[in-house]
Amino acid sequence: MSAHNSQDLLRRDPRAEWIARNRLHPLHGSVVSADMGEVRGPTGLLRKNPHKVGFIGPNGIKRIDRLKGNAAGAGKGRRSSAAQDIQLPLHQVENPDFYVVVVPDMVGGRLTAHDKDVIGQAHKLITGAEGNGAVLAVCFGQSKEEHFDTAGVDRLLLLEDECYEGYRPEQRLAALVQVESAYKPQFWLFPDSVNGGSDLGSRLAARIGERPAVQAWLVDSDSTVCRGAGGTTDITRSTPRLLMLAEECADPIDETRHEALPVELDSVPAVIAQLQDRGQVAVDPNAISLAEAEFILSAGNGIHNWDQFHSAAAVLGATEGASRVAVDDGFMPRFRQVGATGTWVTARVYLAVGISGAIQHMQGIGQCDKVIAINTDAGCDMVKRAALSVIGDSEAILGELIKLAEDFRAQQSAGGDRDAA
Amino acid sequence: MSFEWLHPLLIATALVLAVIGAVRRVNLWRAGKPDRINLIAGLMAMPGRYLHDLHDIVERDKYMSKTHAATGGGFVLSALLIILVHLLGFDNQILAWALLAALALMFVGALFVFKRRLHPPSRISKGPWMRLPKSLLAFAGAFFVLTLPAAGVLPDGSGGVLLTVILTALIIWGMGELFFGMTWGGPMKHAFAGALHLAFHRRQERFGGGRSTGLKPVDLTLAKEIGGVLGVAKPTDFKWNQLLGFDACVQCGKCEAMCPAFAAGQPLNPKKLIQDMVVGLAGGTDANYAGSPYPGKEVGNAKGGPDHIITDGLIDPETLWSCTTCRACVEECPMMIEHVDAIVDMRRYLTMERGKTPNKGAEVLDNIIATDNPNGYAPASRTNWAADQNLPLMRDVKQAEVLFWVSDGAFDMRSQRILRAFVKLLKAANVDFAVLGDEELDSGDVARRLGDDATFQSLAKRNLEVLSQYTFSKIVTTDPHAYHCLRNEYSDFGSDALDGVEVLHHTTFLNQLVQLGRLKLNNFSGAKVTYHDPCYLGRYNGEYEAPRELLRSMGIEIAEMERSGFRSRCCGGGGGAPITDIPGERRIADMRMEDASSTGAELVAVGCQQCTAMLEGVVEPRPEVKDIAEILMDQLVDPSAENSRQDRLAEEVH
Amino acid sequence: MQPNQFNVDAANKLKIVSLVSVGKHPQSGRMRRADQDSRAVELGLKLTGDNHSGESLVVLHAGDPGEPNLRSYAGMGLKSVRVLQLDPAADAILPLGQHLQQCGADIVLTGVRAESGESSGMVPYQLAEKLGWPIVPRVADIVSVKGGVAEVLQALPRGQRRSVMVKLPFIASVDSAAPEARQSAFGPASRALMDIEVVSASVDDVRQAWEEAAARKRPKRLKVVKAKTAAERFKAATAKSQGDGGKVMKNESAAEQAQAIFDLLKEEGVLR
Repeated sequence: MSAHNSQDLLRRDPRAEWIARNRLHPLHGSVVSADMGEVRGPTGLLRKNPHKVGFIGPNGIKRIDRLKGNAAGAGKGRRSSAAQDIQLPLHQVENPDFYVVVVPDMVGGRLTAHDKDVIGQAHKLITGAEGNGAVLAVCFGQSKEEHFDTAGVDRLLLLEDECYEGYRPEQRLAALVQVESAYKPQFWLFPDSVNGGSDLGSRLAARIGERPAVQAWLVDSDSTVCRGAGGTTDITRSTPRLLMLAEECADPIDETRHEALPVELDSVPAVIAQLQDRGQVAVDPNAISLAEAEFILSAGNGIHNWDQFHSAAAVLGATEGASRVAVDDGFMPRFRQVGATGTWVTARVYLAVGISGAIQHMQGIGQCDKVIAINTDAGCDMVKRAALSVIGDSEAILGELIKLAEDFRAQQSAGGDRDAA
Repeated sequence: MSFEWLHPLLIATALVLAVIGAVRRVNLWRAGKPDRINLIAGLMAMPGRYLHDLHDIVERDKYMSKTHAATGGGFVLSALLIILVHLLGFDNQILAWALLAALALMFVGALFVFKRRLHPPSRISKGPWMRLPKSLLAFAGAFFVLTLPAAGVLPDGSGGVLLTVILTALIIWGMGELFFGMTWGGPMKHAFAGALHLAFHRRQERFGGGRSTGLKPVDLTLAKEIGGVLGVAKPTDFKWNQLLGFDACVQCGKCEAMCPAFAAGQPLNPKKLIQDMVVGLAGGTDANYAGSPYPGKEVGNAKGGPDHIITDGLIDPETLWSCTTCRACVEECPMMIEHVDAIVDMRRYLTMERGKTPNKGAEVLDNIIATDNPNGYAPASRTNWAADQNLPLMRDVKQAEVLFWVSDGAFDMRSQRILRAFVKLLKAANVDFAVLGDEELDSGDVARRLGDDATFQSLAKRNLEVLSQYTFSKIVTTDPHAYHCLRNEYSDFGSDALDGVEVLHHTTFLNQLVQLGRLKLNNFSGAKVTYHDPCYLGRYNGEYEAPRELLRSMGIEIAEMERSGFRSRCCGGGGGAPITDIPGERRIADMRMEDASSTGAELVAVGCQQCTAMLEGVVEPRPEVKDIAEILMDQLVDPSAENSRQDRLAEEVH
Repeated sequence: MQPNQFNVDAANKLKIVSLVSVGKHPQSGRMRRADQDSRAVELGLKLTGDNHSGESLVVLHAGDPGEPNLRSYAGMGLKSVRVLQLDPAADAILPLGQHLQQCGADIVLTGVRAESGESSGMVPYQLAEKLGWPIVPRVADIVSVKGGVAEVLQALPRGQRRSVMVKLPFIASVDSAAPEARQSAFGPASRALMDIEVVSASVDDVRQAWEEAAARKRPKRLKVVKAKTAAERFKAATAKSQGDGGKVMKNESAAEQAQAIFDLLKEEGVLR
């Protein structure tokens, strides 16, 4: 919050300032004392708390308060969060001439960034078409999303029944077919994702006999450019009724607010499912292939306590990787080797412990987003590449990290899924 | 001496049995595939080859060469004379004295054999071989006594029945080992098979100081045939003279002592491999093998036969994939047996028929097939490394004096430093050169060593087609593997693209430039330097001098490693070994770096990007590793700076 | 990696059909054995217990039987590849559907998306719709088949798996997370028989109107700052870019350093 607030505007509150200046004002104590820089110490001496002196100025620099706390009230005048208070203009569609249906993935019950892009695309299609269109979002399963309105949903069909929960493509398809006949949408839009959008879209396309555009990334109401041949060609074609859209196909809605009016669907026939969802299977992070792993804890020559390393990987939930040397020395199996001569990894976060970064290794982590280095040598190549480097004894740092992660896990299990996001 | 008729009969029997054995043995070899060899010419050349080529190798160990000359020479001579004197009954004092002399020579030789066998080094086989010196002594001794009467030293008929019985027993023993055993599979088999192996060797070019190191291409039309086999599945799939070669092995273990994979504890022992081939061609088990095993594998479990698939029971595929194809074993073998050919032949079967290239092998081969480079980079990115180098492309210039073959080092960031250094040197020497750019493909070295000859041949043919479009008189490359392929292996594909073209390694070429004075070098003032001979430059192509001369031309005194020159130890990077990655107890590169460190050198000069990568992979602290091109570049007297100074001087004078 | 013991009812011999197409290497654009399709063949080989007599596992392709890269599937140890010969521009769904119905397949395996052509991934869905069979997309493994019901592991993002039960016969598209295909050997590939059946199919007219070109590079989305006030605009214009050149913590205590790492991990959302 504090980082956010410092960017906000300072607004003076003349009344508070006036009260702060006027020591005789009945409210003076309540305005000033809270942030006083002086505290009565245990021996009765008046002590200055250096942390309380001054305040952070509008450009982020600390300012000494020459008024000795008498102007403290000024700081309180800040608007807590200006952005939230601004009411975006409401976009209303009274009697839509047509619908563009979006079926978002709703991973974890919330709209994903990909979903929002698709909704943005839906609005682009409406703008390009004649008449008054509305975006209808069809959402399956329990929804936790609170911001359908700012995401750009005009009409919202929430299908939260038990029969849609989990992996139920056949039942969901039946509902979509119902939507098809009830709304005759001008366009069907699905996120082309592995989270279900592509599956459901393909099922609907096969059912209603539409030839979809997949991996579409440049779409208007007339023509569509989509990727073909495994992403190596661009196919330009007239826009079909059913589209599966690539990520970042369009900008999400951010300047308008929408009604998100709930709509209902006539009863959907129950389908006799041929697929039976048995739920997710627990997967050991170490069983995930290195190339696929999202978070890799990688060990090099600088690791001496291997038990500690393995337990760190376990508690952090990271997939283990290794440098060539660690593999050659027999501490790690060969398939764990990261680098040009091992596996090319795509992890978002790569935590390299005791790896100085041979050139082949650096080639192998070229696609990693955030590299964190723990090393004793501040001049090594890995430190140069890393977004965050800590220089020191890896055993001590890993030990502390394990402690933090264990605390975090303990809190997690105590607090349930409070931090599900 | 009584029973005068007995000894001629014994000799005749032994000879007849030996001949029967020989016919049987020859039939075992003839089960192999045919190979074009001029039999008569081979036989005629054989004695010369023995005295020259083979002896030159044995001569590296003076003790053994003298011993062998005495024993072997004495035996051959005495065997001939025994037939004349004792079998055919020529009663001639001169012949008898000659026989006595020959036997005495053999006896003395056998004594030295005996002495060496008292404390045998671990590399040599024990078992029946421990018996051999005694058999030799028995043979020489008994016939010596037997010949004394004929020489007139002893009267005829002297000695009693006891002596006769003892002599007869010794003669039976001696002839059993030396005549019968020679063709029925005793230690003396090496003499019989070895002699014929020299005559009918598959690589006749190796004799008379020649060099023949290129692998022989696979006949790919076999792939279309039902029942055809690519590579070697069974012992009978070898050429017949390869089988003969296996039989020639003396189990001296020189190969074992040189083999880097054996030293690293990987499951390969070249001597055992050849002995397993003998088990395969004759049928049976390896239970009688009395030498060092494959590291980590017990002796006695291998079973094979001429028509059994070798990798199903006789040899573990891991053994074949441990080889770095460094040719140290071949170079060292006194019998000139071709271990690497055999290993690659069997790898070909595993890869092309079974699809069983281990570890990253399959992936690398797929990449080579789909992208013409082993790591699957976009073919169009081959010249990305040279974006700032402004290199002339053959496609544009059509002809140049030198074609710089860049090799797959173009994709590796470490190797690119070598390439840049070499380009800088070429430019400094004003060499008229060009590169193929994206038209260049992988040389096929890795594919071929991994046994995928189909891919190698496809690459070779496509490369040759590109090469045939341009005019150049030299190809120079910084990669000894590509150098070997271009120089020795591309000639099998009926293209004239390389006719009259000199293929050179960059060290050779740079040395020429330095000798011609086209490159001016400062003296190297750094620390102690040692030089590591790349296998594919040294043993495969005989280039030991040029890199050393280059180093010397910078005033470097090379601190030679104990194993250097033709005995150089491999870095572990050849033959696709880093790709198939068979586990051992230590890494070959670490051992090589220890060799280098023990000279006290702080810089290892190398002439191969693969060696550079392997040696730099050794954990620090270790000597620095640099390609010779990089060292040269650092010592280069910058011609432009020189010129401008001269210009300035000239201006001042005016 | 996970040792998966596969078990099938011994009495119930499965008939598996792996549908293959000609792939295209992403870097070189050269035709090759398609990655996912070859995994489909690999899974088929596993299900039929490596029995490559061609009886229980049929590798089926619709298109040009002369295409050399089809042989690389056979190089995995197959005696033959069945090819429904038709014009490459034709719509293969109808003849494929008929063929599958006739040959009585229990499980049909395909890749998720082809590496060449339209690459829409619709073939398994259209076949399923045509045949009225269930489809399981993105399969990582088929764990067991018992009593006409298969237990299938579906690949989810980031290496997660979902277990799904499905009745035979069904169609499954095989994900890249499925076990890697074995090496294709040159000898068997060259020797394999092309079992050709000529079929007729209607030409795919719709596609004629499409334009195909090499993929253009998509621009990365920029972080657009939509400033509402003058102060915000000023800040957006003058702010230092977020791309910090790497923070190095040298003298802090181990606990502080660990905390910094921990915070970054949390910020990145990899601690779950």
